[in-house]
Amino acid sequence: MEMLAQFGRSLVPPRLAAWVDRQASPIVFALVTLFVIVLLLGAVTTDNFLTIFNLKTIIRDAALVGIMGIGLTFVTLSGNFFLLSMKETAALCIITFAMGMSHGYGFELSLLATLIVAVVAGGVQGLLIGLGGNPIVVTLGAAGMFYGIASWWSDNLVISFRRPNDAEWLGTGSFLGLPNITVAFILIAVVAEIVLRYTDFGRKVYLIGANRAAARATGHENLPMAIKVCIIASVCAGFVAVAFAAQISSAQANYFSSEFGSSGDMTILVIATVMVGGNSIMGGYGSTLRTSLGAIFISVIDNMMVLRGFNSGPRVLAVGLMIVFSIVVFSLARRGSRAQE
Amino acid sequence: MDTILKLTGISRSFGAIAALDGVDFEIGRGEVMGLVGENGAGKSTLVKIISGFDDGYTGTYEFEGHPTRFHSPGVAEQAGIAIAQQELSLIPAMSVAENVFLAGHNVQAVATKRSLAARARRFLDEVGLTDIDATVRVDRLSIGEQHLVEVARLIAHDPKVLILDEPTAALGESDSIRILNMVKKLAAAGKSIIYVSHRLDEIFKITDRITVLRDGESQRPRKAAELNVNSLVELMLGRKLENMFPERAARDRRDLLLSVRDLWPDGMLESVSFDVYGGEILGLAGQLGSGTGEILAAMAGSHRTRSGMIDFGGETFLPRNPAAAIRRKLGYCSDDRKYDGLFLGRPIRENLTSPALESVSRFGWNFGGREQQVAYDLAEKFTVDVSRLSAEAGVLSGGNQQKVALGKWLSISPKVILVNEPTRGVDVGAKAEIYQKMRNLADEGAAIVFASTDMQEITYLPDRVITFYRGMQIGGFELAGITTAGILKDITDPFNETNL
Repeated sequence: MEMLAQFGRSLVPPRLAAWVDRQASPIVFALVTLFVIVLLLGAVTTDNFLTIFNLKTIIRDAALVGIMGIGLTFVTLSGNFFLLSMKETAALCIITFAMGMSHGYGFELSLLATLIVAVVAGGVQGLLIGLGGNPIVVTLGAAGMFYGIASWWSDNLVISFRRPNDAEWLGTGSFLGLPNITVAFILIAVVAEIVLRYTDFGRKVYLIGANRAAARATGHENLPMAIKVCIIASVCAGFVAVAFAAQISSAQANYFSSEFGSSGDMTILVIATVMVGGNSIMGGYGSTLRTSLGAIFISVIDNMMVLRGFNSGPRVLAVGLMIVFSIVVFSLARRGSRAQE
Repeated sequence: MDTILKLTGISRSFGAIAALDGVDFEIGRGEVMGLVGENGAGKSTLVKIISGFDDGYTGTYEFEGHPTRFHSPGVAEQAGIAIAQQELSLIPAMSVAENVFLAGHNVQAVATKRSLAARARRFLDEVGLTDIDATVRVDRLSIGEQHLVEVARLIAHDPKVLILDEPTAALGESDSIRILNMVKKLAAAGKSIIYVSHRLDEIFKITDRITVLRDGESQRPRKAAELNVNSLVELMLGRKLENMFPERAARDRRDLLLSVRDLWPDGMLESVSFDVYGGEILGLAGQLGSGTGEILAAMAGSHRTRSGMIDFGGETFLPRNPAAAIRRKLGYCSDDRKYDGLFLGRPIRENLTSPALESVSRFGWNFGGREQQVAYDLAEKFTVDVSRLSAEAGVLSGGNQQKVALGKWLSISPKVILVNEPTRGVDVGAKAEIYQKMRNLADEGAAIVFASTDMQEITYLPDRVITFYRGMQIGGFELAGITTAGILKDITDPFNETNL
């Protein structure tokens, strides 16, 4: 390990190496070096990986999961753990949207209805969590309810709406050569990061996540915060549902449970983006930028594995490994930087 | 008397700070030895060394006549030295009997609930829990009874020396009496007991001899019968440290600022009422369990309160939560800064502005400029290193952390600051600084209300003192009338039970 760390250090400029030394322990540096080497080897030896087209594909694939991950990051940073109902919220939203579209209410009204559903779904969960409910229990319960409603309402059928329709632009259009969904991902990522860094709301997210008791003592209650962050996460899930439905002009309650991306389970994948980015599970430390990078990162690995012909089993395994790997590296790095001071 | 445990010339340093400096300590068989001293005098360090939690000391440790050194509490326990700490180590969901045999000694491999209870009976009787059913869950017992179960657990290992570290700190009167009776009983049965307590009345009731620690040094043990409260306090305080404390406000009392009317926080025996004047420092004196901390927390909206009102700033109210108190310019520092006083993982700057986010932002946007300015000014005022504003609060020393925890309230331009234990876990130098800051704030017109169990600061810092004893408001002292002896009598023995 020590040797690997030495080798890694020799590859980067001295000032960067010094910075890394302050931040991280040798083991962290070694692990990161190891990882970068594997990644570079993979990138160079995989056919069709390093093409502009493929890089665009990577980001596009990261977008939907990434947007939900950004929403969920607010919940995690504020110390309210995770919403285990992300994919079920999306399921309820996609059925709501498709119902609206197929009954001819048009894009705007359907979108509005979907967002209202998302706000209510998030608000109720946030209220229960804020009042002291255990986030795992509350959101597992909510997950069952949301999926049940979506499945019942749609009779578990595929609801398709005729093309052409006025939602297609969102799912299939592009702007400056980038798919609209990619553009939305970038915009949401930028806005979320600005809000977290430069607003009172963002500061409260961090303070409440860092120490809920101290936050309360300085006048920042978790109840309104829990409601707000759950609504943000829920609305992100709703937006992703709309974008996904707009892509394929149809919806089914189990779209987010079956084959989606590399992992079968959208919720796990979304939580993975938050974790792989190195956000603290306990809250108070991290950023949405980390989550965005985490989403892209998972997408890179997944893409590489697809190009090399792996099927879904190994790809799910890879996502799991990445979560474990990043948690180990980030917790070691954080401990290291603390110990230095 | 036959000495069972003898420590000679014990010294222990943490970095540059000497916690113990050449301490001698001894206890005889069947003796009850009181161990007293102020906060920070070194009691807990000494107790840790005796019980094997700390082996980084110099000096000699003799147990039963043999030089020894315990490297872990387990080894000390096997040798026959057991300690009951302030924090209970019982498992709430298990039965009394199961807790007694928690460590697994003296238990047959297979035990039924009833056989275990029968075996526990003997130890429960020894600590005076004769009327307790050993099969009930331990969390059904009162806190005092739980303390007794904890001791029963220790007794089950048949220790020769038993250390009780402030066993009555969190207990009411009747539970305390049970503890004291237990101590007498165990001593009569030949066990040596080291009794650590802040409650001087208890010390006189049950100890044979008393060892006083002061600033890390020990006094020779004295027979309890040769001392009284006054002479014991003098031993504890030694020279007067009055110059640590800023001059009192030698002016006429200013205007009435705030009235607490019939406030009854949960945990108090009765309601309290008092006035607070602008520009003064008011001290609430009382030992742990007296309710002073609860009163401050209730005034700040962070403690459940049965009834009562606060008259302040033309309003009559009872804050529902801390935010409601902060809006009215009431700041509150609890006695546990790590729990709710600081965001240890966030930068010092963010800690300093945390109660007043709106005042450093504009329309909800905070680009850092104004915040940096405000944090800089606060840090400078409270002599926190201004070059470290971006460092995490967790890296600061205890004293500097306390300055940040206290200093952050300046960001709301407070009218009243409530502080529980303003100098807990803070070294002497920082203490003096904090006292000076508190005085400065009062001089600028704010009122400071603080609660403390530290006899020095409660005597020399405030302009006025109100005393509390086990959930009851007792009396008050002002300016030159504030004396350690007067306060001590009020907070340890106001009803003259012991006739000292």
